[in-house]
Amino acid sequence: MTTSVADGEWHRLYPATPFLRGGIVVIAILGYLIVQFRDVFIGIFIGTVAGREPHEDPMTRWLLEHSALALLIVFGLLVAIIGFGWLSWRMHTYRVTDELIEEREGVIWRRHRRGRLDRVQGVDIVRPLFPRIFGAARLEISMAGSDGSIRLSYVASARADELRAGILAAASLRRRTEAQEDGAESHPLPGPLHPPEDSGTRTSRLQGAIVARANEFLTPELREPVAASSLVTMHPGRLVGATALRFGTAMLLVLAGAVLATIYRPELLFVIIPILIGVYGFAAREVLRSLQYSIASTPDGIRIGYGLLSTTNETLPPGRVHAIELSQPLFWRPFGWWRVRINRASASVRDGGAAQANTTILPVGTIEETLRVVGLILPDWTEPADFTVSPRRARWVRWFSWRRNGFAFDDRTVVLRRGRFWRTLTLVPLARVQSVGIEDGPLTRAMRLARVDVHTVVGVVRARVGALDAQDAVGMWRDIETRALGAMT
Amino acid sequence: MTGIAAAGETWQRVSPRYLWVDLITVLIPGVVITGGLVVAPIASRIAWLWVLPAASFVILVLVLAFTPRRVRAIGYRLREDDLIFRRGIMWHRVVAVPYGRMQLVDVNRGPIARAFGLAELKFVTAAVATGVVIPGLPEAEAESLRDRLVVLAESRRAAL
Repeated sequence: MTTSVADGEWHRLYPATPFLRGGIVVIAILGYLIVQFRDVFIGIFIGTVAGREPHEDPMTRWLLEHSALALLIVFGLLVAIIGFGWLSWRMHTYRVTDELIEEREGVIWRRHRRGRLDRVQGVDIVRPLFPRIFGAARLEISMAGSDGSIRLSYVASARADELRAGILAAASLRRRTEAQEDGAESHPLPGPLHPPEDSGTRTSRLQGAIVARANEFLTPELREPVAASSLVTMHPGRLVGATALRFGTAMLLVLAGAVLATIYRPELLFVIIPILIGVYGFAAREVLRSLQYSIASTPDGIRIGYGLLSTTNETLPPGRVHAIELSQPLFWRPFGWWRVRINRASASVRDGGAAQANTTILPVGTIEETLRVVGLILPDWTEPADFTVSPRRARWVRWFSWRRNGFAFDDRTVVLRRGRFWRTLTLVPLARVQSVGIEDGPLTRAMRLARVDVHTVVGVVRARVGALDAQDAVGMWRDIETRALGAMT
Repeated sequence: MTGIAAAGETWQRVSPRYLWVDLITVLIPGVVITGGLVVAPIASRIAWLWVLPAASFVILVLVLAFTPRRVRAIGYRLREDDLIFRRGIMWHRVVAVPYGRMQLVDVNRGPIARAFGLAELKFVTAAVATGVVIPGLPEAEAESLRDRLVVLAESRRAAL
């Protein structure tokens, strides 16, 4: 497959990259200066207010006394920053060939990394608000293994879509050819595979660029085909409700504490308000991040998009999900809502904050929607009818859940069920099982119980179930191993 | 666990010399801690503080007493398509790893183990939880086992 993407040439990133990367720093410095000189400006325009020393701050005073020198330093710094930014932009290049993606960067410390396209675990397009305004996006290509992601920040928005389509096409080439052999209908790629024609005069190109930017901003993901076929429609109300219920208790406690404190010690308000903003801000961020959620199946894999202001749009190639967890916090029970999280073989789990979202592929959904999402990942999975559950004597260690705590198999998947109040259902495709362990301790051995631990790649989902009858556990352990060997491709 | 152990086959044991390695690795920190704790009652002249070094000593002796059994409990078995590893006497743990899941094999030699001509072999998969480390293999055996595992893994390679 030769697309315009896999041309084997070295490309540079989006020209505004240094500005976008350093932009925040520049704004921060400007902000500091403005705040510092506010009094000076006021003084100039209104005249110094009598009896008030305008520049108590030693920094400001020094700057005023040596304004020429200060200007020179600022100017020099600016030149250095811009020069360095420009240099690093010049040196940061990437290319895609038929088999590899390569990235070179660094001015003083050079770094060259390359990844095999057939090892791509997923491609995300992230558009933080600020770069998004300028039509730029960050492309994150996660590879198998630790520390294995290639980040191109930033590339032009349209180029990002193009790159993603090309990379994913190469990554899922095998599946694609299989599908075509089956005579299945092959869909055209949703993203613009071919570069937009740039013909026309300069002015019309400029106009075109502005219009394109506006369009990109309004329909951020170029995802009309995806949004239209999204399997789940997320109502903002449900998202808010679900988040409130999930953190509900904690938030109520905080609020109650705040009210009490305000009544008795009003002067503490200065401390309380920031705490409230922090707690509720976290919840609000959770909601904001998941707004405009969409999930759909494309020939390249499952595509998930979310975010209102800063948007993320990621694609999971088929067969790269190592474990799936359906969970239901206690207060979601009355509404029948579930959350779906996954483990995947890429480094993003370690990257902290942003990665949290990557593991959640359905923030909240009804049982039908949840099963539809699971169906995308494991197409012919149905919920098993009978589970092998813990024996009655396990009620001493699983007080409420011993009747539910258990496991079940089908040909391709092992299913673990846990929890009475906080319910979870963990699915592990047998072809992705890394190893399987069985454990017991002195107490559980006396009760003839054991725990089985299905080892998958590191992630939020931990697939293990304890308090099983020892014989059942050994049988399960054997079955998983045999079936995992059988399911290996 | 009886179900697994009674499968008819026998476990490969680690070298008997590994017992000494394990004893020394327990003994050194044990003696250092006990010695440190002895200072407390002597320096403060409070009689009941002798409880601390005494307790530490009793624990050390218990751990040492169980060491032979613990070492004997370590075993592994190379089956046709997978490796089974077990360890523990109080807390049993048995892990089965298909060869095809192997990412790499490490052979490590610590200073004490090296003095006894032993090495440990670490079987690494994409899952951290796997945690298969076979200690106390004679160096030559560790290396031949490593080579054999690499060949086995190569012939049963699976995509991640």
